[in-house]
Parts: sequence; C-alpha cells; structure tokens
Amino acid sequence: MVVELIQSILLLIAAFMVIVSAVGLVTLSSDRKNAVYGRIHIVGIFDIACIIAMIGLGQYLLAGIYFILAPFTAHAIANAFYKSEDVENNAELNVVEEDDSNPFIVNKSKIQVLEDKDSEKLKADDRFTISMLDIEEE
Amino acid sequence: MDILLISKYILIIALVIMMFAALRVSAYKTTSMGLLGSSVVVVAFAVALLAFGDLYNLTFYRDISLALIFFGFVGTVAFAVVAGGDK
Repeated sequence: MVVELIQSILLLIAAFMVIVSAVGLVTLSSDRKNAVYGRIHIVGIFDIACIIAMIGLGQYLLAGIYFILAPFTAHAIANAFYKSEDVENNAELNVVEEDDSNPFIVNKSKIQVLEDKDSEKLKADDRFTISMLDIEEE
Repeated sequence: MDILLISKYILIIALVIMMFAALRVSAYKTTSMGLLGSSVVVVAFAVALLAFGDLYNLTFYRDISLALIFFGFVGTVAFAVVAGGDK
C-alpha cells in the first residue's frame, strides 16, 4: 500500500513536470535571444520527469541508462546548433558577402590576410616612413 | 478506484500533450529544433509505452521502449554530429 502510494506520487510529479515543460516549450518565444538553448534546457526538465516516471513504474535500470544518456543528447544538439546555425553567437558563421559598390563592406577573411604579419602589402608599406613636420607660426 | 491506476492514466495524457508540443517545436525553422522535437517525441512515446505495458501487463512493451530510448539516442547523436560539420 505504501509502495503504491509512493509510486503514484512519483508518477503524478512526473506528469506535472511533463505538462510544465510542454507549456514552456510552446510558449517560449522565438524572438528571444538564444531561444534554442532555452528550449534544450526545458527538454532537460522533461528528461528528468521521464526518469522519475521510469522509477515510479519500477524500471530502475532503464532510468539509470536514460539518466546517463540524456545529457549527451542535449549537448550534441546544442553543439550542432552552435556549429552550423547559431549566427548570433558564432562569429565564423557571420560571413559578409563582398559588395563592389560599397567600399566599406569587405569580407572578413580578406581583412585578416591584409593584417597578417607576413602580408606582402604590409611589407611594401614598410618602405615608407612617417615624418613629423614642425610647423612654426610666424 | 486505485490511485496508482489514475496516476498512470494522468501520466499517459501528459505525455501525449508533450508529444503534441514537441511536434510543434519540430516545425520551427532550424534543423536543430527538428532534431530536438523528434528526440522528445521518441522518449515520450517510450515512457507512454512503459506506462501502457504496466497497465495491461504487456512485458514486451518494456523491450520496445528500451530499444526506442537507446536507438533514439544513437540516431539523435549521429544526426547532430553530421549536422555540426567537421570543424
């Protein structure tokens, strides 16, 4: 009787957490900054709710396996998003297309080549020196 | 009525709601959101199968849910590694 009561309490807690995470997933606005990472965080709550449900259903080994596997999934998804789609945070994805009509829009890689220490352009510029002229007012 | 029975039904209903929410999430524009939504659907379905099998004493449902959780994890990680690129 006591075991059944504990099991049912665990299942009800899990159900409550699942509903809360479902509402959070749907209502989190896409306009927010880093909304994808927020959703991955909410799915973490759902994962823990599933683990509690598995314990409540008596599947302790399955709960243990999923407890170990769930963070790997979340990290893999976040890593894939950062490397391929996160334009907000990953500077490597912010590639500007060069526009010939606008001299102020230049590709980042070209600037890096120009600023490189071994750059031929920079060596050519070393031939010139800057002199300070003193202008005296009469 | 038994409270354990009621709580199992409540859990199944909550998991079905979560599956619909995950389907909505997987419709967002980025590929990672589709990946996240599909992994949530798989896990919710596996736990719902566990609860359903517990209700009607279907022991092979446990094996199906174990396979779903394990291979769902493998598929999600494999897709994420491919989507992330070589860098």
